[in-house]
Amino acid sequence: MNKNETAELNRRDFLKGSSFATLMTMLGGVELITRAPVQAADLATLVPFQVKCAVIGLGSWGREIIATLSRLKTAQLTAVCDTYPASLKRAANSAPNAKGLDDYRKIFDDKEVQAVVIATPTHQHREIVIAALQAGKHVYCEAPLANNIEDAKAIALAAKAARKQVFQAGLQTRSDPQRRFLLDFIRAGASGKAVKAHAQWHKKQSWRMASPNPARERELNWRLSKETSPGLVGELGIHQIDAMSWFLNGRPVSVTGFGSIMQWKDGRDVPDTVEAFFEYPGGAHLTYECTLANSFDADFEMLYGTDAAIMMRGSKAWMFKEVDSPLLGWEVYARKDQFYKETGIALIANATKLTNLTEKATDETAYTTKPLYFALESFLTNANTVSSAVEDFSATFDVNDKAALEKYISEIKLQPAAGYQEGFEATVLAIKANEAVVHGQKVALPKEWFELG
Amino acid sequence: MKKNCFLLVGMLALLPVSLRAAEDWVRYNAVPNSSKVKVDGTSTLHDWSVGSTALGGYVEFDPAFDLAKPALGKVNAHCDVRIFVRQLKSDKTDMDNVMYDSMKEKDHRRIDYRLSEMVLKEAPKSPEAPFLFDTKGELIVAGVTNKVQMPVTMVRVGADKLKFTGSTSVKMTSFGIAPPTKLGVFSTGDDVKLTFEWLTARKEQK
Repeated sequence: MNKNETAELNRRDFLKGSSFATLMTMLGGVELITRAPVQAADLATLVPFQVKCAVIGLGSWGREIIATLSRLKTAQLTAVCDTYPASLKRAANSAPNAKGLDDYRKIFDDKEVQAVVIATPTHQHREIVIAALQAGKHVYCEAPLANNIEDAKAIALAAKAARKQVFQAGLQTRSDPQRRFLLDFIRAGASGKAVKAHAQWHKKQSWRMASPNPARERELNWRLSKETSPGLVGELGIHQIDAMSWFLNGRPVSVTGFGSIMQWKDGRDVPDTVEAFFEYPGGAHLTYECTLANSFDADFEMLYGTDAAIMMRGSKAWMFKEVDSPLLGWEVYARKDQFYKETGIALIANATKLTNLTEKATDETAYTTKPLYFALESFLTNANTVSSAVEDFSATFDVNDKAALEKYISEIKLQPAAGYQEGFEATVLAIKANEAVVHGQKVALPKEWFELG
Repeated sequence: MKKNCFLLVGMLALLPVSLRAAEDWVRYNAVPNSSKVKVDGTSTLHDWSVGSTALGGYVEFDPAFDLAKPALGKVNAHCDVRIFVRQLKSDKTDMDNVMYDSMKEKDHRRIDYRLSEMVLKEAPKSPEAPFLFDTKGELIVAGVTNKVQMPVTMVRVGADKLKFTGSTSVKMTSFGIAPPTKLGVFSTGDDVKLTFEWLTARKEQK
């Protein structure tokens, strides 16, 4: 490839990328970038530890988790579990060294298994999570934690009581270096005072899974029934709403929702098109939109500040500056992408080196840069750290001094991840937002609802 | 053979006396979450540091050693200090993993120190003032034992606690540890400094 080729966007690159980011490059913009961490030769080959883990719930997301674990050298997948034989068989093909089990209790009886990832339907989490914690396992529970507040609270309280174990809620963006970089950037005041935010998830798809018989159909399509599903805002919106609350540095005081079945009138009672408006202390609002009837502009989040707007799309972000905003300095040299009539400054953590300014925008994201990868990496590292601390502390000091052990664990610095409190708060918010959507009303969000006691 | 038998009988005869003596010794056990150990090193890029609070072990003194009226000179004392390697941490998990690997943590999980000689050089002039000792001992890292000498300070904390502080410098290579060199753009130096602050509490008499 010659130099001219790298500087131009040719047809081959366009077809290869054929992506939103490539399109945006053609239109213009400036991307926010952090320096990629030094990857030492020793680090690349070192396997510092391995955590024996199991995955429970082998739907499409469960299989995604298995695929991600297979790329993490710190994971040793020893068991996979699902009650449905076809799902078990399909997952077993991608995890040939793991035992295939149809009863999760068999995993909890296995002393070798240290950690479990629970990706069952949301309404089944409570029983499995609590049993896993009681069996002494580290637990990663997909978000939302539950489809009702009572179950979410029971899970969070059980996790809080399990001082010698790690509990991680599946709010992946909390572990994503890109989002953490953005958080520091925003909290440092780079975008000025936050005045409003917007997030959306648009995709034309039915959300209905093909099933071989009526019994399986109901079991498989639990997301389409109000009885078991927290709806679009609860299942999909929870991640984006949690992220925006994190960036806005507050919890909403109310949510107003609307929802309708606009496209998929197939017997479901869960709206396929929803909107929710969250009001934050200080007056800022987040508007959230989600539809299964149209794909335009896919999914992204926007934060509007008095000095700049920041757009987040997956693991990438761009800053759009106001003409009267202060000059930060570095943005002069940063890569810029054009977005229709706006110029975005690229903000990318760990995907691109600061020095590699000529790299083209693309959303051909590697597996190892997806938020799920970072979330599971944090989970395994934290599980190993806490297990090691318990083992070594007990061999060093009086094993009966539980208070000292708990203090020691509480002072250990862990990898960034959403814990039981973040998981509980995000779940309450998602459930209440869904309630607002279903009833088409405003729901106040008193702080007591987010407290575990 | 006969000579060896006499020696054995003689040792056995002395055993009850020494056991009884050990029972009378005053023992202080490490207090959890109250100590600090720090390892400082260098590299071609920047200095580095790892630390921990999980410094365990005990020290025990001959009952003849009177804290209120200590005599200068050799002190009859036993002391074992230990820490598990993986409890030494910096704020960079990846670098910690390289360190554990370099220290052969999977085969040698602990760092141990055993006191062999303790000499009181300076007695405290008040109850709060420090005792100054010269110490000799063995430091065991990555399965390799080296003799170390260091001055150690001891102060009384309340009625039943003793706090020891000290530091010594060692070379990684003297413990068979090759300083990590393939850390991308930088490599680490051979010299490291160990600094500790170790709180012990008198074991309750039964």
